[in-house]
Amino acid sequence: MYYLCDTPRASGTRDTAELLLDGVGKKYRRKTVLAGVSHRFQPGLTLLTGPSGAGKSTLLRLIATAERPSSGRMSWDGEPLPQARSKLRRALGYAPQAVDLPEDLTAREFALHIAALKGLELASADRQFAAITDRIGLHPDINNRISTFSGGMRRRLIFAQAMLGEPRLLALDEPTAELDRETAAKLGALIVERAASAIVVMTTHIADELAPLAAGTLRVEGGAVVAVSP
Amino acid sequence: MTAVAIARSSLRTSLARYSRSWGLWLLLLVAPVGARFWIPGENDTTVVIAVNGSAPVMSSAMLGVALGIVTSTLLLPVAFIYLRSNATRRQAWQIEEVTAASRVAMALGRYSADVAVLGAVLSAMTVAGWFIAWLVTPLDTINLGHVTLGLWLIAAPALMGVAALRMLFDSLRPTRGPFGEVMFFVLWLAAIAIPAAGAERNVSFAGNMLDFAGFVRPLSYSLPEGQKGDFAIGAAPVQHGRVELDVMSGLRSEGYVASRVAWAGIAILIAALGGLLYSAHRPRPERRRTGLIARLLAPGAPAAADPGAPGARPSRAPLIGLLVAELRLIGNGRLWRLTAALVAAGGAFLDYRTIIGPAALLLLVFGLTAHAARTEQPGLRALTRTAVLPALARRIAFVAAGLFWSLAMALPAIGRGAAAATAEPLLLASATGMAAALAAMLLGAWTRSAFAPRLVLLIAWYAYLASA
Repeated sequence: MYYLCDTPRASGTRDTAELLLDGVGKKYRRKTVLAGVSHRFQPGLTLLTGPSGAGKSTLLRLIATAERPSSGRMSWDGEPLPQARSKLRRALGYAPQAVDLPEDLTAREFALHIAALKGLELASADRQFAAITDRIGLHPDINNRISTFSGGMRRRLIFAQAMLGEPRLLALDEPTAELDRETAAKLGALIVERAASAIVVMTTHIADELAPLAAGTLRVEGGAVVAVSP
Repeated sequence: MTAVAIARSSLRTSLARYSRSWGLWLLLLVAPVGARFWIPGENDTTVVIAVNGSAPVMSSAMLGVALGIVTSTLLLPVAFIYLRSNATRRQAWQIEEVTAASRVAMALGRYSADVAVLGAVLSAMTVAGWFIAWLVTPLDTINLGHVTLGLWLIAAPALMGVAALRMLFDSLRPTRGPFGEVMFFVLWLAAIAIPAAGAERNVSFAGNMLDFAGFVRPLSYSLPEGQKGDFAIGAAPVQHGRVELDVMSGLRSEGYVASRVAWAGIAILIAALGGLLYSAHRPRPERRRTGLIARLLAPGAPAAADPGAPGARPSRAPLIGLLVAELRLIGNGRLWRLTAALVAAGGAFLDYRTIIGPAALLLLVFGLTAHAARTEQPGLRALTRTAVLPALARRIAFVAAGLFWSLAMALPAIGRGAAAATAEPLLLASATGMAAALAAMLLGAWTRSAFAPRLVLLIAWYAYLASA
């Protein structure tokens, strides 16, 4: 399967960020997990849907440069990867599905460390982290050690660190898993806000609820994009 | 944001994590207490360091040198285990690897934290050394500066080197796992063997650079020609009384201080190299083999599923089931079982003590440590705590299964021994199997990782092999 189409631009967005995938595939030795994915991502929310093991997380890891494609080309703001990888990474917020969180740090210490690695100014990152966590109900716990966190709190922490620095490309892997509907809605609101000016690509099990707010949906099955909407 | 800010953040978070780990406080307590036991009394017949069968007379300088040598030789694996399996083992690499941050800056920040922690341990040992000097040397000869100089000049570069190796091994994909432990084990042995074999030939900077552990020159410098090569470090009997060594001359000899500073510099470069060569984590690809090996190792197609299968019945002998499960998981995979069968078959015609026993023990070490670590993960422990059989029963079954595998691999040798009226293979297989399983289980439960038990058992395995 080979699709080349665009995620429609969200209204009122800046005409800057653009991520292009052209025939991108991923193989582990002889096993193909993703093949021939072509898509132009522009500011707005793009949902990745599909059954478990379809290749959604692999596609998201490729977008987040956590892995290199085995075939095809990627470019960021018109500049090909891997040359533009550093530029993409400076603009990236990434929330993987599983993270080896440092249990002995507090949520705030962890977030500020990630902020330092992202090259952010720490005082403003601290303020932004407080604001984000306040909106998603994690703020009262940011000075507690991660070891005391529940699954849902960890998920919100991973999400909050991804939002730091107002990334122009946000890759989110099931950010609302393990969350109750109310908290998931709070995350959803933040995601939609960010999608007004950034490319947001996310996998989610609540695609039906977010679809009306999304600029586009890619359905991934068997390692290929089988449908694009709208 | 500069590389300095990234290094500072990595240093700060690593130090925060270390300071919250009980392992650090335990180490700070154990190191100085242990130091007292490495310094022999005047009438001891066994000492930790012997030169030509003689125990060195304890002066302030010799005391510092002795503490430094024990640290730079015998305790290096402890330092490696501590750094690699302790507080900073878990890193959020899934996020860190997609930032544009300099890996060199991150590596140097974390390395600085490791060095600071080891420096704190050395400081605790220095204070202990001052106290021991007051106990074992005449009051009018105590020189706290000599104690400090001997300890730090020898031990600090060696510990910096171990911290740098940890950083490098954690950075490279092949050495993140068991191969890293084996590599450290080999390098550690080489670091002790090479200087004893060659460094004394050349009193110069180049000669001293062969001596990573830094023990040869201080011990040998004041000895007469022809008596410079016989050192024992560990547990050595005192055969020829006491010998007075002018270790300060050795510490001040040509090129020695420069070589220690150079080793410290090399260590920093190795840590930076770790950042430079950092290889990102990758999902482990499925390995597909073809041909004869593929047929031997292939798990085969699963048995046909019966959709109408009834629910599993409670076992009549759950403990037997537990033992069988532990046997399967220790001897996991066809390759392991095939190797075990080959080792056992070799026992029919090869010597057990020198060949088959060590081979079987080595195989068992890898099987035991891998399984001990995976069953002691916090999540799994929480799950098994809800099971009918208590965790203790599983641990007992683990030790019994380890003993079983050891005996199974010794069966032909035991048969040969019985024919020759000797129970040696039976006794050795029982003792090594039981001890290895017990150590793997205890260390695995303590550290929740395969790393510490594997390294400790590899060192024990080498001692077993070398003592044959």
